[in-house]
Amino acid sequence: MDNTDESLIDAHRRGDRAAFGELVRRYGDSVLGFLFRMSNSRELAEDFFQETFKRVHEKAHTFRGGRFKSWLFTIAKNVAIDGLRRRRKLRVVSLEQKVDCADGEELSAVALADNSSNPSDEAVKAEQTEQVRHAIALLPAKQRATLVLAYYQQLNYRQVAQVMGCSIGTVKTQMFRALKTLAQKLPDISKEQK
Amino acid sequence: MKNHLTEKELIEYQFKLASEARAEEIAEHLKDCARCREGLEGLKRKFAALDLLRDETKVSEDLISQVIAQAEKPTQAKIVSFRKPAWITAVAAVLLLGLLLLVPHLTRQEVQTREVAQDLARPAEDFGKKDTMEKFALDLAEEKPAVVAAAKVAEKLVPDKPPFAPASAIELVVLPRREKVQITIYNSADLTLVRERRNLTLKKGWNWLQFMWANTLIDPTSLSLEPLARTDKIDIQQLVFPARLCELGRWLIRSQITGQVPFEITYFTSGLSWRAFYMGTLSADERKMELAGYVRLTNKSGEDYEKAQTRLIVGKVHILDQIAQLAKRTYPYNRPGEMWDFAEKYAEFEEEWEYYADEIRDRVTSDLKLLRPKEIRKEGLSEYFLYTIEGTETIPDKWGKRLLSFEAEDIEVKSLYKYDEQRWGNQAIRFVAFANDEEHNLGETPIPNGTVKIYSYYSAKQRFAAKYEQADERGHLSYVGGTNIKYIPVDEEVELNLGPARLVSVEPILMNFETDNFLYDRNKDIAGWDEIRTWKIEVTNTRTLPVEIEITRGFDTAYWTLQLDGRDVSYKKHDATHARFKLEIEPRTKRKFNYTVTTYHGLRQEALTE
Repeated sequence: MDNTDESLIDAHRRGDRAAFGELVRRYGDSVLGFLFRMSNSRELAEDFFQETFKRVHEKAHTFRGGRFKSWLFTIAKNVAIDGLRRRRKLRVVSLEQKVDCADGEELSAVALADNSSNPSDEAVKAEQTEQVRHAIALLPAKQRATLVLAYYQQLNYRQVAQVMGCSIGTVKTQMFRALKTLAQKLPDISKEQK
Repeated sequence: MKNHLTEKELIEYQFKLASEARAEEIAEHLKDCARCREGLEGLKRKFAALDLLRDETKVSEDLISQVIAQAEKPTQAKIVSFRKPAWITAVAAVLLLGLLLLVPHLTRQEVQTREVAQDLARPAEDFGKKDTMEKFALDLAEEKPAVVAAAKVAEKLVPDKPPFAPASAIELVVLPRREKVQITIYNSADLTLVRERRNLTLKKGWNWLQFMWANTLIDPTSLSLEPLARTDKIDIQQLVFPARLCELGRWLIRSQITGQVPFEITYFTSGLSWRAFYMGTLSADERKMELAGYVRLTNKSGEDYEKAQTRLIVGKVHILDQIAQLAKRTYPYNRPGEMWDFAEKYAEFEEEWEYYADEIRDRVTSDLKLLRPKEIRKEGLSEYFLYTIEGTETIPDKWGKRLLSFEAEDIEVKSLYKYDEQRWGNQAIRFVAFANDEEHNLGETPIPNGTVKIYSYYSAKQRFAAKYEQADERGHLSYVGGTNIKYIPVDEEVELNLGPARLVSVEPILMNFETDNFLYDRNKDIAGWDEIRTWKIEVTNTRTLPVEIEITRGFDTAYWTLQLDGRDVSYKKHDATHARFKLEIEPRTKRKFNYTVTTYHGLRQEALTE
């Protein structure tokens, strides 16, 4: 059976429920990762995640071919931005705040650190992780979306431009602005680890 | 050696933002430049921190199942309550219909019908609509007893007691888009009345409608909801502000029908404002003026108003509360609780704003493309003046919009200079005077307070004929000055203060001072005297136009006499302590005149009154 994204969305349009499930599983992690980095809140990201796939389901008939991944991230981006606009309360997670993990349990930020290191290294790394999270959360939404798509989701600039609905030049401008801001705010991990 | 690479170039190279050609140049440079290579390594180390967030976010099986289950649900499920399955109503209706058809002869039809009607009307008593309901039910019962019977059964299935709270979010009626919106801005009080029309989809029975005002300046205590149709079948029971849920209210609506109904929601908000401003253009001879009035609407209310009919109120209103303060309270009725950190919220909003700016700019640009000058209709109210902007306007949050209010040409104006040391120091001030009346091609409506900027067609031909032979007929437009004006009623004169004049100067010089006519009391102390001052006034006009100037001189006493020495100069007593001189000065000339003022002091004041 042809298992490309496009064939799955076609099958879904024909009423194949399994096909939709397959798409959710295939892109679930990356879409949730994108939404989490956009919203900086696990709870919001999960809400946006549901809304994203609801729209995929409802708008499947409007998919006109091309790359499904770009189409999916365009929807996810719109959901995140609409959702954040409605809420307008993009919360920055404090260093003390705990981070929800996937299975519903709470996991402190420290637990994200490498288990192989000693506890003080773990604490430092957790703090640096939070500093990075904080720095990204402070970026304007457009720059944040561009950075997350290009750097973490590893879309090329042309694909990012498709998702963002703008030119490659604009994407590069947004990316540069984001990086310039981050250059001032990111922790120097090599220095602090010494 | 070429210049070292900048941080910008290094970032562009590292993240493939530079063009291919530029990337090659940078790569070449890096081969030969240890310092730049070191810089690049430093940058890589810096951005390596981003990889700390590379951890995969795993989506849970539960979430996947929810998403798949959600996709299989019908979309309309949100507003339908399944607690009372519709089939119960249908079965009951059929049974009763059968009963009525089988035994119509057992009871008198008329009595039965009236009983049914009364039964139906009973719940309406609570809403004060008993008569209407009873009549409606009676009419219906006479025509279609079976339908009434079915309705009666269905009615009995709607519980009379209102629910304490919605059982779950699924029971809430979703607030749909606005169909129409009208905003009336009372500028003086930072108050705007918003009337929105929305079509709500109700189910029969109890409905909860949720309204949120988070991050807006809406006054929650002013919220009101009214159905615009089927008012006899819909009753707004109450508006509740649930505990622990800030910034939202829920209306409890009892509906006897299922379907879409238009509603009007009204409330007051703060943050919308308008201001008037004007642009006047003087003709080259400064005897005529074109005046254009504009209105600038600004929306800082936190809410976008799309295609809103906009009305502006001139005049002061009296309100007890400042709406912005009401809106900023965490709870609508001053419940105790932690207040927000508004500075933080504003900062968050600012971040978001940059992103939305492009989108909104596009929307506004497309609006502007369609924009033709809109008429602003004005009408008098009892205590205010109402301006209605023709058509509708879209005013996104944090945006302003300029609209043309009126245009008038050939307004006769008087250009005037004034000199009064006590008010403006030792400089002449320029004024332009006109009246808001028909004679001046104005006078249709009062002119709201605002700022005025005056420009003039500076006649280049006239001044630099040889140099600027190519200058057009009207010359160059130059800024003359600006001022704030107060509200100008119809038939009222106005003088616009355009600020200090640079090309017209007045210089008073004291030429002589003496005292005279001393009077002494019985102790031979001085009891009265005169002071005689002679002043020379020099007025210089370096302009290419003749000017009229009004010079006001104060004497600090009401006992004075004045002798004027000068041709074509006149004066009149302006008030008890001031005299006012008027004269005209030809272009590029200097004029002088003298006056001698005698002031009377002590007992000499009596001499003057005698």
